[in-house]
Amino acid sequence: MSTGYVAVQWSRHKRLYDASVAIGIAIYLGAFVGVSKAFWAGEHGISDEVILIRALGSCAIVLLHIILCIGPLARLDPRFIPILYNRRHLGVITFLVALAHATVAVGYYHGFGVLNPFRSLLTSNTNFSSLRAFPFEILGLLALLIMFLMAATSHDFWLKNLSASTWKRLHMLVYFAYGLLIGHVALGALQADRGSIGPALMFSGLCIVSGLHIAAGLKEYRKDRGAGTLVVDAGEWVDVGAPDEIPTDRARTVCAPKGERIAVFRSAGSISAVTNICAHQGGPIGEGKVIDGCITCPWHGWQYRPQDGCSPPPFKEKIATYQVRIVGGRVQVNARPLPPGTPTTPALASGGLS
Amino acid sequence: MSDSIASAILLTLAAYIAAGVCFAFGFVFRGIYTIDPAALHAPLTFRAVLIPGAAVLWPVLLRRWMLAGKKP
Ligand code: HEM
Ligand code: FES
Repeated sequence: MSTGYVAVQWSRHKRLYDASVAIGIAIYLGAFVGVSKAFWAGEHGISDEVILIRALGSCAIVLLHIILCIGPLARLDPRFIPILYNRRHLGVITFLVALAHATVAVGYYHGFGVLNPFRSLLTSNTNFSSLRAFPFEILGLLALLIMFLMAATSHDFWLKNLSASTWKRLHMLVYFAYGLLIGHVALGALQADRGSIGPALMFSGLCIVSGLHIAAGLKEYRKDRGAGTLVVDAGEWVDVGAPDEIPTDRARTVCAPKGERIAVFRSAGSISAVTNICAHQGGPIGEGKVIDGCITCPWHGWQYRPQDGCSPPPFKEKIATYQVRIVGGRVQVNARPLPPGTPTTPALASGGLS
Repeated sequence: MSDSIASAILLTLAAYIAAGVCFAFGFVFRGIYTIDPAALHAPLTFRAVLIPGAAVLWPVLLRRWMLAGKKP
């Protein structure tokens, strides 16, 4: 939690992860260059620069697909959650690979003339009205700018000081960048008559990414409408289920009528409720555990006391709490959030009004 | 895109970024404390990773710096 800033929050686990990504990238680039050289050897060989441009570009796009799939995968199956932790490092690495691709491309196609290469990039092709000759590089440039913005603001400092909602909106631009890149690859291939393998792969990638997003969305939609959302008492109190239906030291997540999720935890015989949204990066608190008496977010381990939603000292983070009660052997939670850090009276798992 | 439009775009961008880079250095050593006291004893490398973002988003940070400076 916010004890002080460091440049990169590396832990042993994250170093291992980043090292595997770097090794993976090296193997990919090596294999791509090797195979391309074998395929296009001899008279009609492609220059090394073009092979490198393609290797780096396709590597960046593969990484981007992985990034876009991690979110829905983690929502579909909790076993993917550990790779979610490091999505930001992956984002920065992807930007660097894409930057290398763009640098070699600009240098090779625009750098050897008398024009400033950037001016050449903007002016050499102005066929905006033609699909076959569209300046696909400008689409790549816009996507690269978005990726830069996201990489440059990936530090926690920005999350805190741009406000979480602005930050989130900024990082949602990744989908826009993805759209631009589909155009970059499809139109680029159209222009160079480089065959349809690239666009075909891109299309399957698009199907996988959208399929996963739809599946995860459907799952969440069903969960929200399913058991546990029964509204009793004029919309104020929401039914959670019997106390022992909540696993010990874990939560059951319910959805309030307005759509916000509430995590109802049971630990040490008492039941208390907090918002499902972590103050750090909006992680799903309800998928976390109670560790050392504190609710622990599954994403980066921020902790909150169940009874008042405050982080244990010396930390100062707070999340919204909710009133809970037990009526007729059922746990109910009040749908109205209390201000972050408000103490509540936990309900006793064995007892209550009946 | 015509040559003159492209030059104008690139010049504007270059001026914006140049101003941003100057601002960023001032920000990571001074302004940052007014908007986020948690940065007080942060290492140099932390300040370095903020520079690219600060050079681009400088109008936002400048506004926050001014506003925070006014508070008693
Ligand atoms: C200023 C920005 C960019 C420029 C100037 C640029 C330029 C190019 C050029 C010239 C090609 C065709 C290479 C060839 O001759 O085969 C290309 C292809 C490609 N680019 Fe970019 N690009 C940029 C940004 C990006 C970004 C940000 C990504 C992805 C993250 C990307 C991904 C790709 C891919 C996947 C291909 C197809 C590679 C292949 O067919 O094997 N590009 N780009
Ligand atoms: S989102 Fe990072 S700890 Fe909860």
